Amino acid sequence: MGIIGPSGSGKSTALMTIAGLERPDRGAVRIDGRDITRMDEDALARFRGANIGIVFQSFQLIPTMTALENVAAPLELAGRSDAFARAAEELRAMGLGQRLSHLPRQLSGGEQQRVALARALAPDPLILLADEPTGNLDSETGAAIIELIFEQKARRNATLALVTHDPTLAARCDRRISLRSGRLAREPERAS
Amino acid sequence: MSRPPFFIQRLPLSLRFALRDLLGDPKGFGVFIACIVIGVAAIAGVNGLSHALERGLAREGRTILGGDLSFNFGQRELSSEERDYLTARGRLDEILLMRAMTRLEPVREDSDPAMIEIKAVDPATYPLFGALETSPPLAPAVALAQEGDAFGLVADPMLLARLDAKVGDRLAIGPAHFVIRAALAAEPDKLAGGIGYGPRVIVSRAGLAATGLLQEGSIIRRLARLALPNAPSDDAVTRAADAANAALPRAGWDIRKRDSVSPQFTRNLERFSQLLTLVALTALVAGGAGVANAVQGLIERKRASFAILQALGAPASRVFAIALVEVLLMTALAIVIGLALGATIPYFAAEALRRAIELPVTADFDPPSLALAAFYGLLVALVFSLAPLGRAHDIPVAALLRGDADAGSARTPLPYLVAAAGAMLALVVTVMLSAGDRRLAGAFIGCVLAAFLLLRLVAGLAMRAARALPRARDARLRLAQSNIARPGSLAPTLVISTGVTVTLLVALALVEGAIHAELARSGSGEIPRFYFVDVAKADSADFARFLEEQEPSARIDRMPMMRGRIVAVKGVRVEKLQVGQDAVWALEGDRGVTFSAAPPKGARIIEGAWWNENEKARLVSMESKVAAGMGLSIGDEITVNVLGREITARVANLRKVEWRTLAINFVMVFSPATFAGAPYSDLYTIGYDGEDADARDARLARATAKRFPAVAAIRVKEALETVDKIADQLALAARAAASLAIATALLALGSAIAAGQRARLHDAVVLKTLGATRRWLIAAYILEFAVLAAAACGFALLAGAAAAYGIVEGLMTLPFVFPADVLAATTLGALGATLALGLAGTWTTLSRKPGPELRSL
Repeated sequence: MGIIGPSGSGKSTALMTIAGLERPDRGAVRIDGRDITRMDEDALARFRGANIGIVFQSFQLIPTMTALENVAAPLELAGRSDAFARAAEELRAMGLGQRLSHLPRQLSGGEQQRVALARALAPDPLILLADEPTGNLDSETGAAIIELIFEQKARRNATLALVTHDPTLAARCDRRISLRSGRLAREPERAS
Repeated sequence: MSRPPFFIQRLPLSLRFALRDLLGDPKGFGVFIACIVIGVAAIAGVNGLSHALERGLAREGRTILGGDLSFNFGQRELSSEERDYLTARGRLDEILLMRAMTRLEPVREDSDPAMIEIKAVDPATYPLFGALETSPPLAPAVALAQEGDAFGLVADPMLLARLDAKVGDRLAIGPAHFVIRAALAAEPDKLAGGIGYGPRVIVSRAGLAATGLLQEGSIIRRLARLALPNAPSDDAVTRAADAANAALPRAGWDIRKRDSVSPQFTRNLERFSQLLTLVALTALVAGGAGVANAVQGLIERKRASFAILQALGAPASRVFAIALVEVLLMTALAIVIGLALGATIPYFAAEALRRAIELPVTADFDPPSLALAAFYGLLVALVFSLAPLGRAHDIPVAALLRGDADAGSARTPLPYLVAAAGAMLALVVTVMLSAGDRRLAGAFIGCVLAAFLLLRLVAGLAMRAARALPRARDARLRLAQSNIARPGSLAPTLVISTGVTVTLLVALALVEGAIHAELARSGSGEIPRFYFVDVAKADSADFARFLEEQEPSARIDRMPMMRGRIVAVKGVRVEKLQVGQDAVWALEGDRGVTFSAAPPKGARIIEGAWWNENEKARLVSMESKVAAGMGLSIGDEITVNVLGREITARVANLRKVEWRTLAINFVMVFSPATFAGAPYSDLYTIGYDGEDADARDARLARATAKRFPAVAAIRVKEALETVDKIADQLALAARAAASLAIATALLALGSAIAAGQRARLHDAVVLKTLGATRRWLIAAYILEFAVLAAAACGFALLAGAAAAYGIVEGLMTLPFVFPADVLAATTLGALGATLALGLAGTWTTLSRKPGPELRSL
C-alpha cells in the first residue's frame, strides 16, 4: 500500500496510528483481527515488536550499538534466544556480512538504511511500515533500497505500507491511498 | 565474528542493553561520578576514622584507664577497709592529681611561675599497664627517686620550654625541691586524667607530700586503679565493679571500667564525627544537583535511542529499567572509587591524630563504615536520579517519524516522583537511625531541607520575576532576563549551588568570628584575669588582703570550694538514672560545689527563692538546665558525696547561670548549714582592665608564687588560648568537610552550565549572525549570572547568619557577632567565583564560529 499526499496531509499520522504510536481520536485500528487501540502501552509495545517493522526516513539506528546489536535488539526484546544468529543472517541477506561490528557512524547512509531494514524485518513482522525510506539518500542508493524493500516484502509475504512523495514509487504498490488535509482525497486505486 | 562478548549476552536484558549503551558512549557521567565519589569518600573516611578511634580506645582501654577498673575517691583518702578490699582483688596502683604552681630554682625576681598539673604516683606500681616513656629513658623508680634534698621529677617538654629549663635543673613546688630528671615522652594513662590547663609533671607520692599541698580541703583527685588477675573479660570487669559497689556501698567512689574510659571524650568524639558525617552528607546532597543534571543530560542525549527501543517493541517500563541500570552501574563505579579513597583516609589521619593527641588510633579495613557510605551514595543517587529518569518513560516515540525525537518535554510521571520521595525518606531514616544524637541529626536534616527548598523557592521567584517584569530596553539585559525566565534556565542550579556555598562559608565565618571575639573579650576586663585555686581556709583572709594590696582597684570575688559527686537524685542512685542530655555531664566525675549565704553573681533565680542568711536546713540551689535534665523541681532531694560523706539536700531554687561571664559559678550552691564544719579551700577571682593588664598579670603571678606558693593561679587568658587552639583544630576539620560540600556544589553548577550549553549556543550563534560581539555576549551573561548569584548570596547571608546564630547562641552560648567586613569579603568572593565559573563554562559557546553551527541547528 502506497500512501501519498502533500506535506501535512496526514501520511505520517496514518502510519503512526497503524503502528500504535498514536491513538486515533475516533474509530479503531484492527490488525490481524485485533483492535490495537484497546491495548495498553506495554501490550502495544509487545504487539509492535512481534508484528510491525518500521523503517524511518532518518534510519533511527541506536548510535551506541553495532549493526548486529541494532538488528538483534527487537529479537532480544521479544525474548528470542537466537537473536544474534538471526540478526547476523538478516544482515548478510542485506549484503552487510562484513559490517556486523560497525557502529552506525562508521556506515554510509545506504548501509545504515539497510541495517534499519534488516532490523525491521528480523522479527518477521506481518506489516512493514516505511516512512519516506529514501528521503535521506541519493537517488541511486534510494533505488537500491526500494528494490530491497519490495524484494523482502515479496519473499516474506508481508504487508508493506509505504509513505512517499514519489508517485512512481507509489505506483509500484498494489494499492494507493492519497491523503489531503487528513482525509482520503479519492477512492483507493487498485493496481492491475 | 562480531557477536558481543559471551558474558554480556547471558546477562538480563536491561543490564545487557545498559552495558551496551554505556560501553558505546561512556561520556557525560564525569560530574555524576565526581559528586558521588567525594561524598562517599568523605563519609567512609570520617566514619572509618571515628571507628578506628573507638576501637583504639577499646583495645587500649586498660592502658588509658591505668587499670581494668579505676576508682575515683575525689578529695578523700582511701580507708584501710577499702584498700584491703581492693588489694585482695588484684594489683593496686594509687595516684593523686592536682594543680599547683612551680618556679625554677634558684628563684630570681624575674622568674615567672608556671601552673602545672601534678600527677603523684607510686614508682613501684605505676603504671599497671603500658609504660612511662621519658627522655632520657628512665624507669619510674629511678626518675622519681629522692636524692639529697631533692625529689626526682619528670616534666612535659612544654614546661621546660616555658621555664627555659633543661634536664638537671631544679624546680620548687611549695617548700619542696625537685630536680628534673627527664622530659616526658609518653604518658600511657594521659587521656583518663582529662585535658588539663597546664603541662604535666610526674612526681612520687612522697615528693608531693613534701610540698605541703596536701591539706584538708585542697582540690585533689585520688584515683585507685586495679589490675584484675588472669586477663579478665569485659563482663568479668563489670562483675568486679558491681561486686565492689555491693561490698562497699557507702564508698561513694566513681568507678570507671576499661571499656568506658572517658564517657565524655567518647561522647564528644561521637558528636564530632557525627557532625562531620552530616557535613559530608551535605557534600553528597549538594552534589545531588550535579547528579540530577547528569541524569537529565543522559535522558536528553538518549531520547532518540530510548524512543527507537520503544518503537522496536520495548515497553516504557523496560526503557526506564535500562536507563536506571545505566545510572546504577555508574553509581556503583562511583561508590567503588569513593570507598577506595575513603578507606585510605583513616590511615593518613590516624598517623596525624596519634601524633597530635597521643591517641591509640590504628586504622584498619572497616566494612561497616564502608557499607554505610556506599548505602548513602546509592540513596543520594536514587533521590536525585529517579525523577529525571522517569522522563524516559514518556518519550514521544511518534516524534521519531517526524525526525525530531528531541521535540517536546516529557514530564516526570507521578510514580517516579513518589519513588524519589521514597528514596528521600529512606535517606532521612538512615541518617536518623545511624545518628547517635537524633536531635542534632534531626535539626541538621531540617536545616538542609529548609535551605534547599528555600533556595529553590528563591530561584523560582527569580524566574517568575524575570517573566513578570516588563521587557528590558537594553538588549543585553533582555537576553539575561529571557535566559533566567526560560524553561531549563540555569537559575535553580546556580542559586542552589551558590546559595549552599555561601551559606556554609558565612556560617563558618560567623562561628569562628564569635569564638575569636570571645577570646578578645578576655583582655577587655569584662571577665576575670585569674582564678586562684586552693587558697587554704586559714590563709584566706591574708590572701584577700594580699590581692587588695597588689591590685587595689580590681574586682575580687571569693567562694568556698569543695569537690563533690552527685550520687542520688530523688532517692534513685545515679547508676540507675536516665537523665536528659543537658544533665549528663554534671553526673560524670567530680564537680565543684560551694555554699553561700547570698545568691552568686552572674546568676538569676528563675524559680523558688533564696534562703535566709540564718537558714539551718540543708538546701541547694541548682542550675536550671541541669535540674531540668535530671527532672528535679523545687522540693526534690539530691544526694552528693563530699569528702566521702553522703549529704542529702532539698532543692530550694533554680538558677539561670550566665556561664560565659566566667565569673565563679557552680551547678550546685548549698546553704551554709549543709557543710558546717567541713574542710574546704577558697576559690578567688580577680578582674581588672587597662592597657597594661598583661604586665600586671605577670607581676601578680610572680608575687602570688612568692607569697602563696601553694595557691594555683590559673590565668584565664592562657586557659582560653588552650580552648581557642582546640577550637581552631575543630574549625579546621569542619572547614575541610565544608569545602567538600562546596566542591560538589560547584561541580553541580559546572554541570548545569554544561547542560544548558545547547540552548545558549543557539541564541549566541543567532545573535552573532545579527552582529553581536563576544564582549556584548559576555556582558549579557555576566548580567544573568550576577542577578542570580546576588539573589543566592542575599538569601545565603540570612541563612548562614541564622545557622551561625543557632550554633553560637544556642549550642556555644557565646554572644553573636556580625563582622561586616568578613561577610562582605566572603560574599564578594563567592559572587566573583560564580561569575568566573559561569563565564568559563560559556567560553566554548562564545568561541564557536556561527557558520558551521548554523548548519547544524
